[in-house]
Amino acid sequence: MTFVVTDNCIKCKYMDCVEVCPVDCFYEGDNMLVIHPDECIDCGVCEPECPASAIVADTEPGLDKWLKLNGDYAKVWPNITVKRDAPPDAKDWDGVPEKYEKFFSPEPGQGD
Amino acid sequence: MSAAKSAVFDVPSEDAIARLVDDFYARIRADAVLGPVFARAIPGDWGPHLATMRNFWSSVMTASGRYKGNPVAVHSRVDGIEIEMFDRWLALFEATCRDLFAPPLAIEFQAKAIRIAESLKLALFYLPDRPWPIESPKDAS
Repeated sequence: MTFVVTDNCIKCKYMDCVEVCPVDCFYEGDNMLVIHPDECIDCGVCEPECPASAIVADTEPGLDKWLKLNGDYAKVWPNITVKRDAPPDAKDWDGVPEKYEKFFSPEPGQGD
Repeated sequence: MSAAKSAVFDVPSEDAIARLVDDFYARIRADAVLGPVFARAIPGDWGPHLATMRNFWSSVMTASGRYKGNPVAVHSRVDGIEIEMFDRWLALFEATCRDLFAPPLAIEFQAKAIRIAESLKLALFYLPDRPWPIESPKDAS
């Protein structure tokens, strides 16, 4: 069991989650974060910290795509444990539907 | 002190977490099954481990960010750890929470512990080619 980062992180990328994660299991892409499923201990601390409510428990239905995406990119993106400023237009993207289809970037972020 | 013993915490304060950690690990060390495993893993001074666990529970219960570590890696190095031990660990943890905390707080701690224990069990013992959860011997037909 683990938590997964989902669509609403894309282009919001607030990064509040990385500060509270006890096991440093967030990895940074160009415009979103993911959780490493083998490192997450399911403590759930990050879930309420996300201003975009983008983090959900993997026990919720319909998450196959996000489980795979989190697992795949956690292996190739850099680790992030220190929060930086969110994108200046983060608020404008909060809640925009289908961000994955339109905006997802497979490029790595800068990491710590 | 009997006054301290009768204290019941209802929020996850520093004091509450310190009492939980001290009391819980005293029970662990006295336990016939878990005691020897922990004694092998922590052969010397328990001070650093207790401090680590206070930080861990502070992070988990109050989002303080004080603990940063890799418990999966740490547990994978522990000699003699068996999957059934997690239930015993959880039973001692629950009893400690029940003794020290008001019921809603005890339930909150226990819920976190159950989920974390499950993820550690998966990380340490899950294999793709066998069923999960692994049946304990008494349940196996």
